[in-house]
Amino acid sequence: MTPAIGDPRILLPGTITRGAVIHVRALISHPMLTGLSRDAQGRAIPAHFIDSVTVEYGGEQVARFEWTSGISRDPYVAFPLRATREAPLSITWKDNTGSTFRQTVDVRFTA
Amino acid sequence: MRPDDLSRRSFVRACALALAGIAAGVRSLRGERAPATAAAAGDDIPEAVRKVLRARFGDRPPREGHVQLDVPEVAPDSREVPVFIETDLPMEPARWVKAIHLVVDHNPDIYLAGFTLSPALGAASIDTRIKMRRSSQVRAIVETSTGELWMASKLVYTTLNGCV
Repeated sequence: MTPAIGDPRILLPGTITRGAVIHVRALISHPMLTGLSRDAQGRAIPAHFIDSVTVEYGGEQVARFEWTSGISRDPYVAFPLRATREAPLSITWKDNTGSTFRQTVDVRFTA
Repeated sequence: MRPDDLSRRSFVRACALALAGIAAGVRSLRGERAPATAAAAGDDIPEAVRKVLRARFGDRPPREGHVQLDVPEVAPDSREVPVFIETDLPMEPARWVKAIHLVVDHNPDIYLAGFTLSPALGAASIDTRIKMRRSSQVRAIVETSTGELWMASKLVYTTLNGCV
């Protein structure tokens, strides 16, 4: 079975008011292999994990995460964000093999 | 919740408590009980972990306080241990939480993750899931823009290795 990789998702709350601190949830499918395990034939399985995540809001970087393979498979992370303006929120995940995954959602005020 | 869920949970808990008991027994046999006067934040930090902290923070010692670390006492699945870190420290342009660091004493990578934040977030918290090789202290270290370090540590028992 080849594990699926990618499918980055960003979840925003249903209700967003101007100036409120919202809870942003981000999820991506990734095996997060440590490089310490072996396959059925005893060969080492190479390390393959997301090592950096950047968060941009309105084109400005607001957070950056530095990860090791100690983060669980299909990494989930949630963090706060002050919704000061209606603008795109982008998250870029990069893994140790150079693959990048990006997702963008629009922060829109509902009231 | 089904009754068999409950019995499994209590079994898992019993295993973890038994392990904890053995560990405590071994420690007291070896006479390693920490002196009551030891500084809270510096208690029982293994040398390997001190080295990681020194490499990242130099000689600034992390102090206890201001950090809330939510982890399970017993983790039924050591491949997915939920971790929630929160702090009451200010998140303003003049003084903010610059980073949250996550350290697991007995993992292959002791320094597990670093989360660099900015005042634009409006608050400082991180919610994620981590892997644990075995039962270990999990430490959350909050670094402020003014260079202060605040830490909270909790022992998490993993049951997959010990009981299955």
